[in-house]
Amino acid sequence: MDDRKIQILIDSLWPMIKAGLQFTIPLTLIAFALGLVLAIVVALVRLWKIPVLSQIAGIYVWIIRGTPLLVQLFIIFYGLPTIGIKFDPFMAAIIGFTLNMGAYNSEIVRAAIQSISKGQWEAAYSLGMTRGEALRRIVLPQATRVSVPPLSNSFISLVKDTSLAYTITVVEMFQVSKQVSAVTYEPLLIYCEVAVLYLVLCTVLNALQNVMEKRLARFSTR
Amino acid sequence: MIEIRNLHKSFGSLEVLKGVNLSLEKGKVLVIIGPSGSGKTTLLRCMNLLEMPNAGSLKLGDSNLSFDGGRKPGKKDVLKLRQNTGMVFQSYNLFPHKTAIENVMEAQVVVQKRSKEEARSRSAELLAKVGLSGKEDAYPHELSGGQQQRVGIARALATNPEVMLFDEPTSALDPELVGEVLKVMKQLAAEGMTMVVVTHEMKFAAEAADTVVLMGDGVILEQGPPAQVLNRPSDGRAAEFLNLLTEKER
Repeated sequence: MDDRKIQILIDSLWPMIKAGLQFTIPLTLIAFALGLVLAIVVALVRLWKIPVLSQIAGIYVWIIRGTPLLVQLFIIFYGLPTIGIKFDPFMAAIIGFTLNMGAYNSEIVRAAIQSISKGQWEAAYSLGMTRGEALRRIVLPQATRVSVPPLSNSFISLVKDTSLAYTITVVEMFQVSKQVSAVTYEPLLIYCEVAVLYLVLCTVLNALQNVMEKRLARFSTR
Repeated sequence: MIEIRNLHKSFGSLEVLKGVNLSLEKGKVLVIIGPSGSGKTTLLRCMNLLEMPNAGSLKLGDSNLSFDGGRKPGKKDVLKLRQNTGMVFQSYNLFPHKTAIENVMEAQVVVQKRSKEEARSRSAELLAKVGLSGKEDAYPHELSGGQQQRVGIARALATNPEVMLFDEPTSALDPELVGEVLKVMKQLAAEGMTMVVVTHEMKFAAEAADTVVLMGDGVILEQGPPAQVLNRPSDGRAAEFLNLLTEKER
């Protein structure tokens, strides 16, 4: 590899990392956190069959899972302004990814809660706990353990899916790599470089997942 | 302490309790026996409303609940009744993500709003009472079945219930571990705890019960002191069931 190429790699590294720190990582963290809250609410509303809300939740999950993420982002960012609802690109991305995470993760959360035996609820009730107390103190902590592997999976998918935000003009990591590639005419080099950055990010997250699983494995669920 | 009148419970079209009448004085031990499917566990679970009866009435301590005409008690009444009863489950149902002492502390902290220090010291006493000093920090999966069930008893006692309900507490245990659990239960009975016990342990029934109830097909077939019910049943079906049990023990 000649010196010019090495120089391009080095020069483009910081702008990409900066975009990652400014947009890719915050977008991932915020959308995942909000999406998880949404997912728990949706899962409970459906598990407890709360009238009306449970039907709305069902339709929400059906639509989000049945349409492409890209189309959802376009509707939010390009479509909604025509009826007067405007967001800046980053906000539109947060909304889009949160809705997406909420729908997919609600199924994970629902399965995890259902995997906790009825006896755990009954033991909590027999001690005089309310449904909320039983959920918070007894069932969710155990469901968390069950759901860490699948939730990590969806988290890592999200890291990579945030690259789609470039289509709604968010200057995240992939957008920067596109710009650099256009200027330097080195698409192979630059796209491989950004791929490595994503790979590093996901590898770190994978390691974190392993740590969490080990910590949560202190007890076994019979 | 407990007064049950004409209690009915159905699951769909299956009628499991067909009008049960029962009463128990404070400090007495009631043992419920009967073949599987006779409704004994359902009856017990109606006493803390893990099953909601369809008709009849239930008095337990200060709680006075009627289920006639499809009536259901309010949330507050349900919680009050449950706080006044402790239940021990066949499959223990300990909280696997909590240590032995945390299992016993849980309801004191969450339901009774005691301080953690207070709950911890009371829980340590209760674990000592069931013979588990030194096991405070063990997780349930690190304990034997007998030890787990004794934690289950301590957990149920932690909120100072007036009545203890036992749902086949020794049925899931290896034979050599049954004794340690029964010993704790006998000790409780001797201390004057009001207890309702669903069990197949005839020896326990004979030794510890004040009253034995023999159920069959959703009704009470026999009711009386253990000597009378276990040795001289007047009902034909009751005699048949008892014969089966004694044959099994031979």
